[in-house]
Amino acid sequence: MPRDRVLEIGHHAAGYCGKLFAHAGYEVVRVEPSGRAPAWASEQALELFLHAGKRRLRGVDSATLSALADAADVVIVEAAGADALADAGFEDWRTPVRVTITPYGATGPRRNDPATPHTLLAEGGYTYLMGDADRAPLSLPGHYLEFQSGTLAFVAANAARLSGSAARIDIGMLEVVMMMSQFTTMQWHCKGTVRRRAGNEFWTVCPSNLFPLRDGWLYVNIVPAFWDAFTLFLDKPELLLDERFQNNDRRMANRDDLNAIAAAVIASMDRAEANRRAEEARIPAGVVHSLGEVLADPHLAMRSFWQTVTGPDGTSVNMPGVSWRLDQGPRARLETAPPEDQGHG
Amino acid sequence: MADGPLRGIRILDLTHVWAGPLAVRVLADLGADVVKIEAPFGRGPRIYPEEPIGGFLGGDPGDEPWNRNAVFVKLMRNRRSVCMDLKQPAGRETLLALVREADVLIENFSARALPDLGLDHATLANANPRLIHASMPGFGGTGPYSGRVAFGPTVEPLTGLTSMMGYGPDEPRATGIAVMDPTSALAAAAAVLAALRRRAETNTGCRIEIALHESGVGYSGPWLIDHQLGRHQQPMGNRHPGMAPNGVYPCAGDDAWVAISCPNDEVWKGLCTVVPGLDPGFDLPRRREHENAIDQTLELWTQTQDKQSVAARLRSAGVPAGAVNTTPDMLADAQVRFRSFFVPLEPGPSIGANGEESGDSRIPVPGNAIHMPGISSADWTPCPRLGADNSAVLKDWLGWDEERIERLSGTVLHDRPPG
Repeated sequence: MPRDRVLEIGHHAAGYCGKLFAHAGYEVVRVEPSGRAPAWASEQALELFLHAGKRRLRGVDSATLSALADAADVVIVEAAGADALADAGFEDWRTPVRVTITPYGATGPRRNDPATPHTLLAEGGYTYLMGDADRAPLSLPGHYLEFQSGTLAFVAANAARLSGSAARIDIGMLEVVMMMSQFTTMQWHCKGTVRRRAGNEFWTVCPSNLFPLRDGWLYVNIVPAFWDAFTLFLDKPELLLDERFQNNDRRMANRDDLNAIAAAVIASMDRAEANRRAEEARIPAGVVHSLGEVLADPHLAMRSFWQTVTGPDGTSVNMPGVSWRLDQGPRARLETAPPEDQGHG
Repeated sequence: MADGPLRGIRILDLTHVWAGPLAVRVLADLGADVVKIEAPFGRGPRIYPEEPIGGFLGGDPGDEPWNRNAVFVKLMRNRRSVCMDLKQPAGRETLLALVREADVLIENFSARALPDLGLDHATLANANPRLIHASMPGFGGTGPYSGRVAFGPTVEPLTGLTSMMGYGPDEPRATGIAVMDPTSALAAAAAVLAALRRRAETNTGCRIEIALHESGVGYSGPWLIDHQLGRHQQPMGNRHPGMAPNGVYPCAGDDAWVAISCPNDEVWKGLCTVVPGLDPGFDLPRRREHENAIDQTLELWTQTQDKQSVAARLRSAGVPAGAVNTTPDMLADAQVRFRSFFVPLEPGPSIGANGEESGDSRIPVPGNAIHMPGISSADWTPCPRLGADNSAVLKDWLGWDEERIERLSGTVLHDRPPG
């Protein structure tokens, strides 16, 4: 069976979607945009991460773009708004499955409003929940929203291809944020409660916080089922009898006392001891890893998580493989090719 | 059941909490025939009237509080519910019978839970070689962390995100929103689609593993590559390495803020037309150099104005800006309302955007960001009652008669928690 040809146009969201198609073995052609979108990493890093295994074209004129789209099975277009899509000729292309990723979606009164992931996270309700209660809310660093939107585009495009039907698919990034809201909307609709940010606390369960260790930080998230085990982790079984901490409601009411007790014990541990005690007590806990430590993580190495990618200049690095594999063999080495100049532009 | 491109795909949903159910909700919205296999105690607190985290539907636990856990309900539309005790041999056999008829089984148990029930992948694949078994253990089924307890907030620190997020290098912050869960959910939905498409070519099933941990590390990829290339970043609050200014600024009112980004020189010039005291001649290096002063100028301008007004004024000048919205703010947004993103679906009453009872008999739930032919919330079904479809599913999928089903009722099949 011939495999799909996928045409990718855009920056990080479309790039991530195309990456997933390339990973799945499809032929992906990327048309390089004329400018560069502001990024959380260098152009070189993003090129290696997003574009391995793709064919890349630069300086493509509108006639060539239209011909490429007509020859593709799937086209993924990321654009600044609905008018930008129209300007690109999108509505005239004959690609069976056409997916657009825009900030607000292709319809509606705000379909052309300017936005960045930073402003969309704010409007979508995430930013209000992050950071300290008495300070400015914190935005989410990195390309989370673009990569999430690209993943959802991959889901939609493949669903359409599986069904065999032609489809025009419209994904708005603001809705991607709101689609992933956790419990905030139900708290509002059913309790009239507006969830607020609470620093490192998850707030609705206690203790759930980031505690300093002798040599780093440890997050614990003690939902009620793990309370008994947590007292063992702290080596303070007497807390089980303490009236202040008899259930989650009581622990929340006395959170300052409980956080102080936990902080004092955890501050005496180093990372190795915290990990060992957490595993022994079987509590949900995680030590903060630096980027260097993530790269050196023995768990990821043992699971053959990393994939070697080589760039156009011969630079080779390890990058995270896509988070699933349909077979468990070693990951293939990948190469990122340089863009081919089409001589237009 | 929802219509859509996945119509005819049968999914057994053995997920719980958030990541797994959200992944399945995406697939259910696309029209898959989803049967949720539930344990009698799978819907929240075991002791009522302890209130679940999002409260009860309509604020009322009612006679069946397990069916009114709002957060559970929010994730469970477009499914049918079979409540079944898998620890009993007849429950295990019934599940395997359903597996033979399924296209996909998706679960987010710990790595050892299904094998402990005698339902490891080999057993499932033996029952149905075309089955796609999507497994979502927190740290995966192998490796030194595979036995660890994993929740979104405790996996997050191991992904690199916590080391990049905070007010500065000495003030790391967790997201507080368990962002690894929805990230992993989308990855799982994508993995299932990739597997379904491959099965269409090969006619064979497979096991796919989507670890919360690895989904999160994947999103740190660009930072991790830069780290290897000698470019080391640290948390920078709300600033951005490629934009200036970029921040969250105070507005008039209680805890009111606006997010503003300036991605290029053209936008900067637009910002300068609206905010007095800024130099339109500054390029990015100059804006970087003077970022503190620019932020102070912006704060002086924003802090006397309503957040929605500030955002609207800036956007009209071409500047990306968004109010830092609370939930009621989100509900009131004109774009959100135009696209009917929130879908009145679950039994109410509901509190509306103005803080009063809305008068609607249905509680809105977040919709699906995929807009495509065949997907319409008009045919969505609300969360079923626990075990509501025991009989219907066993008849539909297995062709069992009422007598056979009745023999299992109350022992293997349930429609309410015991006790």
